[in-house]
Amino acid sequence: MANNLLALVFGVFFGFSLNKAGLTKYHKIVNVFRLTDLAVLKFMMTALVVAMSGLYSLRALGLITFPNVPATYIVGNLVGGLIFGVGMALTGY
Amino acid sequence: MKSIWNYIRKEEWSPYVAGILLGLVGIAAVWLSDTLLGASGAFENIAGMIGNIVAPAAFDNLYFNFIMPPGITWGVILLIGVFFGGMLGAFTSKTLLWGKKGSANPDAQWKRIFGPQVWKRWVLAFVGAIILEYAAGIAGGCTSGLAISGGMLLAPAAFLFIMGMFASGILTALIIYRKRF
Repeated sequence: MANNLLALVFGVFFGFSLNKAGLTKYHKIVNVFRLTDLAVLKFMMTALVVAMSGLYSLRALGLITFPNVPATYIVGNLVGGLIFGVGMALTGY
Repeated sequence: MKSIWNYIRKEEWSPYVAGILLGLVGIAAVWLSDTLLGASGAFENIAGMIGNIVAPAAFDNLYFNFIMPPGITWGVILLIGVFFGGMLGAFTSKTLLWGKKGSANPDAQWKRIFGPQVWKRWVLAFVGAIILEYAAGIAGGCTSGLAISGGMLLAPAAFLFIMGMFASGILTALIIYRKRF
C-alpha cells in the first residue's frame, strides 16, 4: 500500500516535470526531430546525468541495490527504437 | 520564496531544471520503491486485463503470461499519477485546457501542417500510438522506461534504443515536413 502511494507521488512529479518541460506539446517533440528545438534532448540528458550520478553514488555508499537492468538484445532494442521514432514523430507524444 | 513560487507558475521551465526534477524522481523511485519509472508497460498491463476478459485464448501467450502480466501494477498507478501531475503542471501555469474550446487540438504547428480538423489529429494519434506501443514491446520499453530509466543504469539497451529512435524520428519528420523541415 505504501509502495502504491509512492508510485502515485512519483507519477505526479513525473507528469509535472514533463508538463513544465513542454513535452506534453506536439511541437516540442517534433521539433527535436527537425533539429529546431532541442528541449527534449536537453531534458532527457539532464535527467539521465542527474539520475546516473545519484544512483551510482548511492550504490557506492551501499545504500541501494540496482533493480533489474533492461535486457540488451541488440536487434530488438535497435529495431524497436527505429519503429518507435516513426510513431513519436507522427504523433508528437 | 516568492520568486521560487513565480518560477513554479511559469508555463515553461528551462528543460535543465525540469530534467533535474525528473532525475531526482528517478533516483527516489529506485531508492524507495526499487523500481524503474516507465509508461508503456502500464498500458500493456491494462490491455492484458481487458484481453483476459474479452478474448482469454488470444491473450494466453508467453508475452502476457510472463513478460507483461496483466493487473493493476505499480506502473499503472504511476501512470495515473502522471496524468494528474501533468494536469497540475498546466493548472499552476493557468494553461489547463480541460473542457475549453479548441482543447481537442490546440497545437498551432500541428494545424499548419495537417489542417484544422480534429478527427485527423485523433486518427493520427491512434495510429501513431499503436506504432509506439508495438515498438516499445519489441524494444522492452519506451522513452521513459528504457531510454531514461535504462540509461541511468548505463544499460547498453537504452543507448541502442535512443540511436534508433532519433534516426527514424528525424527521417519521419523529414518526410512529413519536406521543404518546411
